[in-house]
This record gives sequence, C-alpha cells and structure tokens, in this order.
Amino acid sequence: MSTPIARVSEIPAGTTKAVQVDGVPVMLCNVDGTIYAIEDTCTHDGGELDQGCLDGCQIECPRHGARFDVRTGAALTLPAVIGVATYTVRVDGDDVYVEA
Amino acid sequence: MATELKAATSPESLIEDYRHGFHDSEENYVFKSGMGLTREIVERISEMKKEPAWMREFRLRAYDIFISKPMPTWGDTALLNEIDFANIHYYVKSTDKTERSWDDVPDDIKRTFDRLGIPEAERKFLSGVSAQYESEVVYHNVSAELEKLGVIFCDMDTAVREHPEIVQKYLATVIPQGDNKFAALNSAVWSGVSFVYVPPGVECPMPLQAYFRINTENMGQFERTLIIADKGSKVHYIEGCTAPKFSTSSLHSAVVELIAFDDASIRYTTIQNWYRNIFNLVTKRAIAYKNATVEWVDGNIGSKLTMKYPAIYLMGEGARGEILSMAFAGEGQHQDAGAKVIHAAPNTTSMVTNKSVTAHGGKTTYRGLVEIFPGAVGAKTRVKCDALIMDDQSSSDTKPTMRIHEQQSTVEHEASVSKIGEEQLFYAMSRGLSEADATAMIVNGFFDFFVKELPMEYAVELNRLVKMEMEGSVG
Repeated sequence: MSTPIARVSEIPAGTTKAVQVDGVPVMLCNVDGTIYAIEDTCTHDGGELDQGCLDGCQIECPRHGARFDVRTGAALTLPAVIGVATYTVRVDGDDVYVEA
Repeated sequence: MATELKAATSPESLIEDYRHGFHDSEENYVFKSGMGLTREIVERISEMKKEPAWMREFRLRAYDIFISKPMPTWGDTALLNEIDFANIHYYVKSTDKTERSWDDVPDDIKRTFDRLGIPEAERKFLSGVSAQYESEVVYHNVSAELEKLGVIFCDMDTAVREHPEIVQKYLATVIPQGDNKFAALNSAVWSGVSFVYVPPGVECPMPLQAYFRINTENMGQFERTLIIADKGSKVHYIEGCTAPKFSTSSLHSAVVELIAFDDASIRYTTIQNWYRNIFNLVTKRAIAYKNATVEWVDGNIGSKLTMKYPAIYLMGEGARGEILSMAFAGEGQHQDAGAKVIHAAPNTTSMVTNKSVTAHGGKTTYRGLVEIFPGAVGAKTRVKCDALIMDDQSSSDTKPTMRIHEQQSTVEHEASVSKIGEEQLFYAMSRGLSEADATAMIVNGFFDFFVKELPMEYAVELNRLVKMEMEGSVG
C-alpha cells in the first residue's frame, strides 16, 4: 500500500497543488470535487503549470497562455502542440493517491 | 466614383507627402481616451463599442495579464524600455458609425485616404476594401459577390456583434491573451481591422484588403485580425500600413490569427511602412491542418523598432507553410524580424526566405525558429536568410534556432551576409546609370523575390520606397 501524496482538504475546488510522484513533478487539480493529476510541465516551454489559472477543467500556463484539459491532458490552444501526461488518481477518505 | 478617383494623388506625390509628413486635424474625433491604461479605460472602450459581457471580460482579463507580465528580457531591450505606456492614447474613435459607402465617409478622412491611394486600390480590386483610420474601421465595402459566396468579411467589432458564435469559438485559440505582454495589451484594448470567414470549398475571387494608418500623436494602434478558412477554401488577404511623421514615439501592437482547416489555403500579405518613431511589436501566428497551406508575405520598411516573427504551426499531415519576408533598416532603426515554423505532423513542408538591407547605421536581426516534433516523419524545411550591408555603420545579426526531434526529416539552412560588389556597380554604371541609380537597382533586385509576389500597385510602391530609403547611401 503506497502512501498518500496529498489530502483532499488541502486542495479546495478550483485550485491546484504541486507534488512529486517518484521524482516526477505532478499537479493535482480539484475540478468540482473531482481530483485529477497531470504532469506539472508545460509541453511548450518545459516550465511548471501549477501557478497557472484553473478555469473549469482547463489549466492555463502562466507564462504563455497555453491551455490543457486536466481530465485528458490534451493541448487545447497554442503555443502548446502536444498534450501533457495524465495519471490515475485514487481517493480514499481524505487521502489522495497517484499512480505514476 | 470617377470624380473621387481623379482626386487621388499619384504615387510619386504620395511618397513626397510621406517624406515630409502630413496629418489631419484632430478636432473631429468623437472620442479620444486619456493617456495611459487603467481598468476604467478598458471598461470604457468596451462600453463605447457596446460589447457583450463576454468580450468585456475577455478584455479585463487580458488587462490583468498585461499588468502582471514583465517586459521581455530579450531582443533590443534598450529600445523596448523606451516605451512609455503611461504616455499613450489607447483608443481614438474618429467617427461614430461604420460607413459602407465611400460617398458617406467624412471629407477629411477621405482626403487622407486619397493621399494614401485608397481609391486606386478600390478601382483595381473593385470590392473587399476595409480601410482602418485610427482605431475604428470607417469604411467597409463587402461586394455582393463575396456575400453571395457566403464569405464573411467585416471589421472585428461587427463580427463580435453579428457572429459571436464563431468569434468566441476561435478568438485567442491561436494566440492566447497570455502569450506575451504585447498580445495581452492588444487583447485588452484591440480595436478594428478584419474578421474573415470563408465557408467550405469557397475560393475568394479577389484579394481582401485592409489599409490602415496611425494619425494621432502618441496613439497606440492595436489591430486584431482573425481569418478562418474552412475546409477546402482559399483566401488572399492584403494589409498595408503607412503613418505620417510625428516627433514622439507611437506604439503599434497587432495580433493576427489565421486558421486554415483541411485542404484550405491562406495567403497573408503585409507591407509595413511606419514612420521611424513607431514601435511595431506584432504577434502573428497561423495553424495549418491536414494538407492546408499558409503563406506569410511580410515586408518591413520604417518604424523605430519592429519585432515581428510570423509563425506557422503545421498541425495536420501534408500541411505546407511558406514565409517570405524582407526588411530595410535605415538610420536609427532596428528591424528585428524573423519566422517560426513548427512541424507537428508527418510529411509537412516549409520554406522560409528572409532578406534584409541595412544602411545609414541601421540594424537588422533575423530571429528564427524551426522545430520538428517527434513523429513528424518526412518533414522538410528550408531556411534561407541573406543580409546586405551598405556601409560600415550598419549591422546585421542572424539568430536561427533549429530544434529537430525527428530523425526522418530534412532540414536545410543557408545564410549569407554581403555588400554590393564593386564589379556589379561598375558594370551597371558602364551602361549609363549613375552610382545612386545603380545601387538602388541592385538593392531592388535583391528584394525581387519578394516584390514579384506582390500585387502590382504594392510592388510599384515598394520599389519606390526602397529607392527613397537608399538615397544618400552612395559616396
């Protein structure tokens, strides 16, 4: 049994939290009570995404405005061309587990 | 109409007027915002344009991004930091309604357009003219033929009102508000210029033209253009700019988004002829889907500092992109121009040709990017940039970047820097040309690759402008 990576109570709806899963930067997003996990790296410039604005199910890169769907990882607007990796999330009570 | 055509000045006198600077009385402006940019000014612009709530929110969000983003730390930062954002009018409206007929356009505005040769362009193309004067489109004529084909060609304000579903779906999907500080500024205070939608399978029978210029001293001009070519359609859009002489700096920051769906084709031709006190900081980007073609034809003469890198994202298999650009930098000018091509799909092809001339202590920079993504098998690209330096005081830099992540691709890059050879000059002069004429002829020949892609009247004007800029560079 792996250890929880975060607590749901730390990620209010509409917010994000940056964590590390096996050395990989991962961003947790709370979209209307559902937690999603994507790689915390913009495919455009390689910087972090977690400081960006979470707008519904879309995260906007804080540097150049590229948008990704946090449910699928798909790139929605330029300048990002390819999507980000997504991870399976399991919630047990207040505990959040991510399978990298 | 015939009377107005006679009133138009000849290209020669146009250039003379331009050289010495001319501008209209500003007494007739309907609204001119105060200096500087605040949330209230952004709200006022939206209110004056009677925009829906979503566009107002779009502007305000962009304003927040603009305020929070730092100035670029690359490029000609010394010149960039000369921009005094607090000393700019962000919105000027010169008449309170958009006119559809040339006869209805106010006389003083018409006089300015006459000096710029608009009626001649009208005569040549007979339709599809969208002329921007200051920040607002005042004259718009969409021919019955275009309407019959289902082509939408209007100013952006009209598009927001009459085609909100298309604008909302595509606006800022190619260039997000947060792409860079100047794209954010444009998104906050944009005004005027063109919206084009070409339905599936339709070929525009004539080029669509917009002609605009800056008049009010210290006025920023923030054009927003969105062109969508649906599947299998074809369109050529031409944009020309010229500005009168003023003593303090003006800011021009446009955003142009092009979307070419499967098998569609878009050509976007620009001639920029800003006066040498203008900052011209433009973001231009296109998406080309499967088997689509996008071509940027981009001419840069004038301005104090130009930073412009037309980009093409080749997103579908077989998409093709071509960027042809020329730049001329004279005394006190820096043309920092280039091109970006992103190959994100297999069998995509691109060609970048850039030529620049520097004289009288001017500076040109070619700043380019070619990126080939993993999986873009069979991608081919060719980049060629040539610089001609006329004297010891002038300089030119070439900064090409290539990021190749796919082994099965072909990349060619070629660059040269040269000066006019004495043998070339001697030969031309031995045929009876003066040294000045011989030099101008050689420089025009250097730009020939570009000029031959232009419609005739633009080609003639560009050749004259180059000749004018070359004056005094001999001896």
